[in-house]
Amino acid sequence: MLKSKLRIFSISLVTLLVITSSGLVFGAWYLKQLEDTVTKRFEGTKWIFPSKIYSDSYLLYVGISLRRDDLAEKLRRLGYFESQGAPRARGEYRISRSDGSVEIYLHDFEYPTEQLKGMPVRIVLQGTTVARIENLATGQEMFHLELEPELVTGLYERIWQERTVVKLADVPPLVTKAILAIEDERFFSHHGIDPIGIMRAMWVNLRNMSFQQGGSTLTQQLMKNFFLTDERTMSRKIPEALMALIAERKYSKETILENYLNEIYLGQKGSQGIFGVWEAAQFYFAKPLSDLTVGETALLAGLVRAPNRLSPYRSAELATKRRNVVLAKLLDDRIITRKQYDAALREKLPQRALVKVTNDAPFYVDYLRRELDENYSSAVLNKEGLRIFSGLDLQLQRIAERALVEGLKKLEAAHPSLRRHSTDDGLEGAIVVLRPQTGEIKAMVGGRNYQKSQFNRVFQAKRQPGSVFKPFVYLAALMYGGQSGVQYTPDSVLNDSPFTWNYDGQNWQPTNYNNEYFGAVTFRRALENSLNSATSRLAQDVGIRRVREIANRLGIQSSLPAVPSLALGSAEVTPLEVAVAFSTLANGGVRARPLAVRNVMDQNTRLLEKRDVRNEPVINPQLAYRMNELLKGVLDRGTGAAARRFGFTRPAAGKTGTTNDYKDAWFVGYTPDLLAVVWVGFDGPRKIGLSGAEAALPIWTDFMKSATASMPVTDFIAPAVEGESAPAGKCGPFSREGEPPPAEPCPPAVQSTRSAESL
Amino acid sequence: MLSLRTKNSLLGATAGWLVFLYGCAPQRPYRAPLPTPALPTPQSTAPIPAPPPPEPPDTSRRPVPQEGKIREQDIRTKSPTPPPAGKETKEPSRQAGIGESHTTPEAVSPALPDDSSLLAKITPGVTAQRAASLRLTDEGRKLLDAGDAAKALPRLERTIAIDSTNPYGYFYLAKAQNRLGRYKESLNFLDVAESRLSGEPFWLAEVHALRGDNYRALGQPQRAETSYVQSLRLNSGNRTAADALLRLQADAQSPTK
Repeated sequence: MLKSKLRIFSISLVTLLVITSSGLVFGAWYLKQLEDTVTKRFEGTKWIFPSKIYSDSYLLYVGISLRRDDLAEKLRRLGYFESQGAPRARGEYRISRSDGSVEIYLHDFEYPTEQLKGMPVRIVLQGTTVARIENLATGQEMFHLELEPELVTGLYERIWQERTVVKLADVPPLVTKAILAIEDERFFSHHGIDPIGIMRAMWVNLRNMSFQQGGSTLTQQLMKNFFLTDERTMSRKIPEALMALIAERKYSKETILENYLNEIYLGQKGSQGIFGVWEAAQFYFAKPLSDLTVGETALLAGLVRAPNRLSPYRSAELATKRRNVVLAKLLDDRIITRKQYDAALREKLPQRALVKVTNDAPFYVDYLRRELDENYSSAVLNKEGLRIFSGLDLQLQRIAERALVEGLKKLEAAHPSLRRHSTDDGLEGAIVVLRPQTGEIKAMVGGRNYQKSQFNRVFQAKRQPGSVFKPFVYLAALMYGGQSGVQYTPDSVLNDSPFTWNYDGQNWQPTNYNNEYFGAVTFRRALENSLNSATSRLAQDVGIRRVREIANRLGIQSSLPAVPSLALGSAEVTPLEVAVAFSTLANGGVRARPLAVRNVMDQNTRLLEKRDVRNEPVINPQLAYRMNELLKGVLDRGTGAAARRFGFTRPAAGKTGTTNDYKDAWFVGYTPDLLAVVWVGFDGPRKIGLSGAEAALPIWTDFMKSATASMPVTDFIAPAVEGESAPAGKCGPFSREGEPPPAEPCPPAVQSTRSAESL
Repeated sequence: MLSLRTKNSLLGATAGWLVFLYGCAPQRPYRAPLPTPALPTPQSTAPIPAPPPPEPPDTSRRPVPQEGKIREQDIRTKSPTPPPAGKETKEPSRQAGIGESHTTPEAVSPALPDDSSLLAKITPGVTAQRAASLRLTDEGRKLLDAGDAAKALPRLERTIAIDSTNPYGYFYLAKAQNRLGRYKESLNFLDVAESRLSGEPFWLAEVHALRGDNYRALGQPQRAETSYVQSLRLNSGNRTAADALLRLQADAQSPTK
């Protein structure tokens, strides 16, 4: 009996020992796992940083046309807020009603090649012209100043965490004291968990029969944010407490505090989450931590508990109440004096309107992202906080988007046949805007609605250009003359009558619009009125390969079969290629490579990449000028004359384009300083049944009228007279001094956005 | 102390003689490996070339060269359009390699007054765009003078965005590219600057001098010399071209050559 009892006891003891030792081993293993996790986080990459895409900066100079309201809107988008008195801190501005001046205290901004320090400036406007710019700090007159680029969007995975990491030493003591006082006043006394704090919280919660207070220490909060979820369960609380103990054992209080101050979530700005005290100070008060007042500091500390519910942007009442609680605590703990307390109570809460980053240029960003993908992995782009500066002009982008969307709506209203037949069969369009001199892509709208279709028709859709291609025929004719020996000039006479082109044993018979022929017409008139037959005859005389060579040289990269119908735009190209090619004409025969990405900086403001303006003279400037003059006639007298009727009166050149089957409507047009290509059509095989002048030109005109409203009126300037300054070049009749002009045409033009120099 | 005018006169005379001496100098040994190209006259750049060249072959399957990598041999292997005969004597320096210039001192213009001040060009009649563009160009120039080409470049790119007709912006862009060692890019910008300059021999001389620097850096001494000579023909006071010609001469006479 005794033996049996002893046996049972022994078995129980062994079992207990096995269980205990297994538990200990498992516990040790679990703790080791937790420790490894904590160590990895503390000593590895703590945070991820989304890359940010910026627009081009905005240069203001004396004499530029600028409306006061437009400037105020621009400042608002840049995060400036209007102050009642003279701007005293960075990010403030004031519009003087008396003398029409605008005073701005500029932000600091880190550009790729230099750092600009914020300073107070005054811009004096006379009517809608900038009359004077003055540095208020020195009293010196300035002739230009640069407003920083706008943040377009961020590149991130799941959550956009907006955070700027600061060292503990750079955080004002009042900020840390206020947060500790309200969140964990015994922080420097406990070892990660605070039994006294837990008991107190339990007592408060029991007394109120609801959850009123948490007993988590600041270290526990950090562990929760680093590794765990928000759920209030024991299965979450236990590892949280264990990790807090591990962290406290391994790392100093200062390290934990610094991590906490950078980690905490403190608000939401659209898709951007505001993390860390530095970012919160910028978000709520637009100032650095060191400039915060006592009241602002208390408000910030009070937000930790419930950033969105207590946000001053959401509820001034709740935010004030919470701030006052923190102030009272600071007074009780003798962190602030009675005088500071009273003054802080009188402080007003931030009242400025919240400007959210909405990504107004999704198609542009997609294009830019494709460029970036060639040099940077997604992980780098989404996590390493690159700053990407682009050539985007957000104002032009908004104008382009509005012009396209409204233009398409008007077309559908005027032509019911264009309305949607099914869910995926809507009328579509695209606009791309370039600055010819620099090649910068200033705006890009790749479709009507980005939410519905991300297909970017500016560079992904290859469509027949139709008559938009014809200027290449005329340029080739002016450049090379005909194989018949004819030297073409704008006044040469062409035959516009039906004819057949026999090519490689096949017959091709181009026909005119409405089968209407004009007989003997001038070169100029044939282009202005886009006469198919006359153009085809011209292409036959010049040689279709020469036409193709010219198109390539100007910037068309798509494969162009050397067949007769090429002259009338049968080969498919993208709107971006068309834009580059015509930009070369607008820029006096100099092809500028298209630029979307300008500079890329890493998180430490080190320049990773810089894409400079690349100009390459590809045709004689005299020839380019002559073509521009001819294409001005298209708007003044030809198929694009409707632009004048719609009220666009500036000197401009352009060309309409309609494909034979009425599937594509184009208009490409430009002033010397701005070029826009508009395409309208359906993604599928459906016809729109409208010409480029009917469908695309009104959208182009609408865009250009708004886009150029504040630009000076300029005209194409004839290049230096031959002989006085010999135009130089690379090939063909445009030859650089010392280089023989080749009898063969130049190699096909190549423009690459990939040839950036990596610095 | 010599007055500025006297200095200019002396410099002009020296440069004139330099050009003359180059015209009389014997052929240099290093000229031989590089075939003297049939250099175009200004007339060869006319919009419509005189004899229409034959239609080009199908190039659709030809490998597409990289941007900025059109090789010299690509250009040289193409048979040049012969320049009109009557023009040859008018542009002797363009036809000659080193030592073949027949330019006489009489053909050299006197030293031109210094027209380098960009701010002086901001006169009451100048448009706001041109004025802003010129001021930015001047800032870029100062940065270049201070040796900061990287910082100058974005400013200079702004100048042409504000005023695409500002030739000085293109010139200093070319200079910035030269300082950054991108000589072909620099040549491209010089071409644009030249096409936008009208009736400004001082600046055209600057363009040719910088073009010479680029050719020299690219290892093309004949072309460099042609450019320097052209520069001095326009402005005998162009110190860059005069000094560079002297250096070219010294290089040519060096025993290592």
